[in-house]
Amino acid sequence: MLIAFFAPAAAAQTAAPAIAERLQACAGCHGPDGNSVTPGIPSLAAQPKIFVENVLVLTREGMRGNAVMQGLMKGVTDREISALATHFAALPAKPSPGEPDKALVQKGRTLSGKLRCGTCHLPHLRGREQMPRLAGQREEVLYAKMIAFRDKPPPGTDTIMNATLYGTTDADIKAMAHFLAHAR
Amino acid sequence: MKTNTRTAAVAAACTLAFSACAFAQAPAAPPPAWKQGMGDKYKDSKLAPNPGKNTETTASDVPMDKLKVPKGFKVELWATGMPGGRAMVRGDKGKIYMGTRGLGRVYEVTDAGDKRTSRVVIDKLTQPSGVAVQGSTLYVMAIDKVLRFDDIESKPDVQPVDMTAKFNLPPEQHHNWKYLAFGPDKKLYVPFGAPCNICEPSKEYAQIRRYNPDGSGMEVIATGVRTTQGFDWHPKTGELWFTDHGRDWLGDDGPQDELNRMSKEGLNFGFPYCHAAGVVDPDVTKAENKATACKDVTKPVSLMGPHAAVMGVKFYTGSMFPAEYKDSMFIARKGSWNRTQKFGYDVVNVRPSADGKSAKVTPFLTGFLDAKEQKFSGRPAYILQMPDGALLVSDEQLGAIYRISYSGGEAKKK
Repeated sequence: MLIAFFAPAAAAQTAAPAIAERLQACAGCHGPDGNSVTPGIPSLAAQPKIFVENVLVLTREGMRGNAVMQGLMKGVTDREISALATHFAALPAKPSPGEPDKALVQKGRTLSGKLRCGTCHLPHLRGREQMPRLAGQREEVLYAKMIAFRDKPPPGTDTIMNATLYGTTDADIKAMAHFLAHAR
Repeated sequence: MKTNTRTAAVAAACTLAFSACAFAQAPAAPPPAWKQGMGDKYKDSKLAPNPGKNTETTASDVPMDKLKVPKGFKVELWATGMPGGRAMVRGDKGKIYMGTRGLGRVYEVTDAGDKRTSRVVIDKLTQPSGVAVQGSTLYVMAIDKVLRFDDIESKPDVQPVDMTAKFNLPPEQHHNWKYLAFGPDKKLYVPFGAPCNICEPSKEYAQIRRYNPDGSGMEVIATGVRTTQGFDWHPKTGELWFTDHGRDWLGDDGPQDELNRMSKEGLNFGFPYCHAAGVVDPDVTKAENKATACKDVTKPVSLMGPHAAVMGVKFYTGSMFPAEYKDSMFIARKGSWNRTQKFGYDVVNVRPSADGKSAKVTPFLTGFLDAKEQKFSGRPAYILQMPDGALLVSDEQLGAIYRISYSGGEAKKK
């Protein structure tokens, strides 16, 4: 069993790398400005602070994420996580490159409206608090994430995304991912 | 591990006015559990559950200056650094254990006199909010796991005994994170919430059960309970009193949360057809049943406010507080999300009438909510009475514990 001591006083670690150093590790994959140009790697720019905090804390705890991210997050303190989240929340998001497929965008817009994505992620789909920004995220990232939510939901406090996507087809999700990736 | 949200609610939910059910070919899509019953008038609503906080809050970031208690009482920060900490139980040797939901941890808090330290007893569990102690033995209940830590106060490294198989836990997550307590009969009381906002749940949900501590002898003792997040036994009558959350998406003003009294076993408290003091559910009640929906339903002793999120209940049995508080309840209201103006975010004192049929609700610990800005600084969740009669109150938002004491002087006359 893992026994971790974490009296608040222990948060101030002298040997911990500076935030700038941590950010270099992030930039390698997620892009120096937080806008990923690497397939399969999400953009972090303009993501809400609480969302990023939650993802990073649960990754560190080994409750979500892949081995690479879990390894990177090992020993990162809550305070550092908040600093990283504040950094990414303040970066501007760049629009997705390329011309959207108008018919696919329209289909995705209609489906997203019916699923009421905008209730939580807000009508402009830029997210808030614990709900991520969807607008401008990489299309294949959105697609893979929604497929995963539908078929194998990750841990968390609620079952919202799983239930939202229940019954959608791969083609539905493809259309929504295309629409969201090109939303601004 | 995790299971998908396939509930008995699906059929019922898709009869509701919810457009998601209409578009997918097959199978029909249920709306998210918390969105069930969200009618078309909420199409453009931006109401959504409040975000929790998964990071530590240092003492200097806990806004103690905002908090208010009645004259003669004092509230101070007792411990912090336990993100998501909710229900608290205290072992015979004084260690305090706290469960969490999303963070998956159970904490142990040690009181070193002038300061408190904490450690994580276990992590990576799925919503281990249920904690109970018997002597020095800790019970932890997550959605899909029941663990017993024998004599953990003396043996910090003790490996848990996995009791899961004996408890036969149903798979749904929604509203099935636990509040646990041992009753005066030494049995373990466990709620199983409705896996939805509004639905006709299958028979293993929307109820309170009790078990022998080893998981044997399960009995369903109350039905029609949507989701109770806290209960306690009256120190004189021995009756169980419990909170229950009202459903969402029926407007800002209700149906209100409930405080219920279980005068005997086998009572039906109304869900899903009859809410609060007699609100017939418009979504799941068939037209021919509307007149009788509240028949034979035990109504709440007191309404506790719209979308208030009533949490922990504690009868006060200590001698530190003025005599008028003896045998009254303290109840935490974590605060609303499904309401345009925020409500709750406080601890109230609730004084039952002599016959137990009504109660008076008075604010006790306030100041978390800034009504003008519509912002909250914390969310009180559970209450623990200490041996000296002081109360501990957990703040799930900040991962902190406050201590409320009475330091003499005249009690505030009500």
